[in-house]
Amino acid sequence: MTRFGDHLATGVLILLLLAAWEVAGQLKLVADGTLPPLSAILLRLAAEWREYWPHVAATLYTASLGFLIGNAVALAAAVSFCLWPVAERVFRGVNIAAFTVPPIALAPVLVIALDGETARITLAALLVYFPTMTAALAGLRSADPRAVDLIRAYGGGPLRTLWLLRLRAALPAILSGFQVAAPAAVLGAVLAEFGSGARWGLGTFLLGSLGRAEPDRLWGIGLTATAIAGLGYALSATLAARTTSLNRAVNIGITGPEPETANEAPLRRALLLAAAILMPLLIWQAMLFWADLSPIIAKTPMGVIDYLITGKTAASAQTRLLAALAETVPITIAGMLLGLGFAFALALLSFAAPLLMRALLPFALVTQTMPLVALTPLAVLILGRGITVTLVITISVTFFAAFVVLAQGFAMIPKAAFDLVDAYGASTLRKVRLIAIPASRQWLFVAARLALPKALLGVMIAEWLATGKGLGNLLNQSRGYLDYGMIWTVAVVSILLSVLLYQLTPVLEWVGRSDRRVR
Amino acid sequence: MPLMTNRRRFLQLMGTGAAAGAMPGFVSRAHAATPLTMQAAWINDAEFAGYFAAIDDGLYKNEGLDVTYLSGGPDVIPESSIIAGKADLALTTPDTTIKTIVDQGAPFKIIGAQYQKNPIGIVSLAKTPINSPEELKGKTLAVPPVNVISVEALLAINGIDRSEVNIVPYAYDPTPLIKGEIDASLDFTTNVPFTIEQSGEKAVSFLLYDFGYKTYNDTVVVTEEVLKTKRAELVAWLKASRAGWDANFADTTAYPPKFASTWFAGTGRTIENEVFFNGAQKPLMEHAGGIFTMDAEGIDANIETLGRIGIKATPDMFDTSLLEEIKG
Repeated sequence: MTRFGDHLATGVLILLLLAAWEVAGQLKLVADGTLPPLSAILLRLAAEWREYWPHVAATLYTASLGFLIGNAVALAAAVSFCLWPVAERVFRGVNIAAFTVPPIALAPVLVIALDGETARITLAALLVYFPTMTAALAGLRSADPRAVDLIRAYGGGPLRTLWLLRLRAALPAILSGFQVAAPAAVLGAVLAEFGSGARWGLGTFLLGSLGRAEPDRLWGIGLTATAIAGLGYALSATLAARTTSLNRAVNIGITGPEPETANEAPLRRALLLAAAILMPLLIWQAMLFWADLSPIIAKTPMGVIDYLITGKTAASAQTRLLAALAETVPITIAGMLLGLGFAFALALLSFAAPLLMRALLPFALVTQTMPLVALTPLAVLILGRGITVTLVITISVTFFAAFVVLAQGFAMIPKAAFDLVDAYGASTLRKVRLIAIPASRQWLFVAARLALPKALLGVMIAEWLATGKGLGNLLNQSRGYLDYGMIWTVAVVSILLSVLLYQLTPVLEWVGRSDRRVR
Repeated sequence: MPLMTNRRRFLQLMGTGAAAGAMPGFVSRAHAATPLTMQAAWINDAEFAGYFAAIDDGLYKNEGLDVTYLSGGPDVIPESSIIAGKADLALTTPDTTIKTIVDQGAPFKIIGAQYQKNPIGIVSLAKTPINSPEELKGKTLAVPPVNVISVEALLAINGIDRSEVNIVPYAYDPTPLIKGEIDASLDFTTNVPFTIEQSGEKAVSFLLYDFGYKTYNDTVVVTEEVLKTKRAELVAWLKASRAGWDANFADTTAYPPKFASTWFAGTGRTIENEVFFNGAQKPLMEHAGGIFTMDAEGIDANIETLGRIGIKATPDMFDTSLLEEIKG
């Protein structure tokens, strides 16, 4: 099929899907009309745009500032990590925490510790930091080693290398980081607005609109947030496309080697590990010291230990926390496996039926940027308030990043690999089984790394909005009891749990590798 | 780490912060308006109409106050704002405030009560009505997680085992109730019945208050330190706020439309909803002694109610002396 034909077919498929949505909405097929027809959403949006724009402006302001600050910090960090690899290891704990922290657990703590505006921008910036930092660092390290040697031979130091070579080589990677970071900034802003008492912003508008029981308004707000996120993505992508073509000559695209650690002295390694673990605690303590807050509301690391382990509150706190964890952890593990499985199935689909996948992609994107609270009535009406709703919400939160990585992995399989099986007239299914699945193995671990920590976020959201169980519910109830110790404890425990899940992947990878060696 | 050190350090912090804030206050009081910041409990709606009226009509200014109003939201714990010094006074739910005084030694004083009767109640559809706690047995009730404490109290007071009611989270959207996915929800009875009727259903509700959960709501709370250093300003605030509420209640349909392009702009809610809210809250707030009154009977009822769920309130947590100063 021609390129044009491809586009046409994708377009027709998308239109068909939109038409199906419209029909389902008009006939009130989904949850007794809780899914409104697309036309109703758009008409209402058009009629109410005057009401929207101050909110859009506020969200844009918060998201943009978060985007700028988050990226500035991310770039500075990436450059430092590139120049001093030891710094990267010391900050590894901070980086993983920044990536894995469930925003809904962090938001209440930020609102307590910072004033409203700062809390909102901080959340947006925090969600921006990790994608840009990792992309930039990988880019900086990807500079052609021969060119690095060349500069070195002419007497250039690390700074010169950075300026003449690395930054230029990293540009495409940095811009691809921006593509992920832009929607993240919007999501962070909306989430923070929802809770923090902001007067303006799409999150605030959503909160006020929830009480009206009018799904078309809620979908309108959600789709507006999606559109802003999409715009941020498109702007970054355009910028990337322009710049990449200019830089292609410089960027040779060799994956940067990880800093060598194998033959390191054990003591040094242990020290660096300890530093990596202590660093987030230090930053936490320093921020509270700087914010100068009462210890009643702002718990330091020692404060949380006192609350949970040594103080008079310990027994009750431990009981409640363990009960919540017993509900949350098993379903998180189930949810992450299903999310990963779903991502894998989608990636296979995109490999076997790229047309269908391209048509589904915009709808998949919507699931990533729609504020879930707007979809709660729909979710509980269709799925109830049991395990199903938790698993579905968890899958929807986890699958996308994993899918993108896996689809990319499939796309990167060299064409030549298929030539032989093609020559024998293999079916698509056979090609998938013989070539694509084995080749995707290494990508599966990368995908798992992205998906696993998000699973906890999905479960906590479902618990908060639908089931009233576990950690998500404990967090919200603690606010009702003004149980500041528990609010901080849940934030810390959810980060630790996410880090634990994140650290699980290297173990899986190792198991996978040894398994392969046996064969 | 023992809690005592925390508390001592906390009091020190409070002391230095408040002293720094009080000095310019005394100097400028005669000449210019003194700044005073209030933290509300929720987003801008009719629940706070009296304060908006007082600001717009210059009532605070007449009392020498320059009031800054902070809106609330789901992640905003009003008490946090006064502990952190972001606000001088906060509108709170008394059960959580008193629990924090008892459990954590927070230095709070309640100096007034906006609602004589707590507006939270159990809302259900008229076609499947639930008119008493007894009828909740075997039903699914959606409750905002922060209010579970109140529902547990209601059930305990009425001798109902908590396990007999299926409590699920309420995510601020009445759709599941309208569609029958849940049987009832806990919400402000001044608010959600309007939405339900807009969607073509009839709603019934009962107040938790009428079934033994006799608490105030939107209690006016300050720290002991602010009470000491800004007493005159707080009295002025109570006086002007009462006047604002009186003006607002003179005709409950008058003020909400005035706020359409200011306080209520962009909240996502309708002015008709605010008018309904404003009318419905009037009987819950009025008292012969004036808005904010805390009489001995009311304070006793609060103490008794909270005592039943193990929160040991005492009369000294309520300071009625400021209200005395603004009498007639």
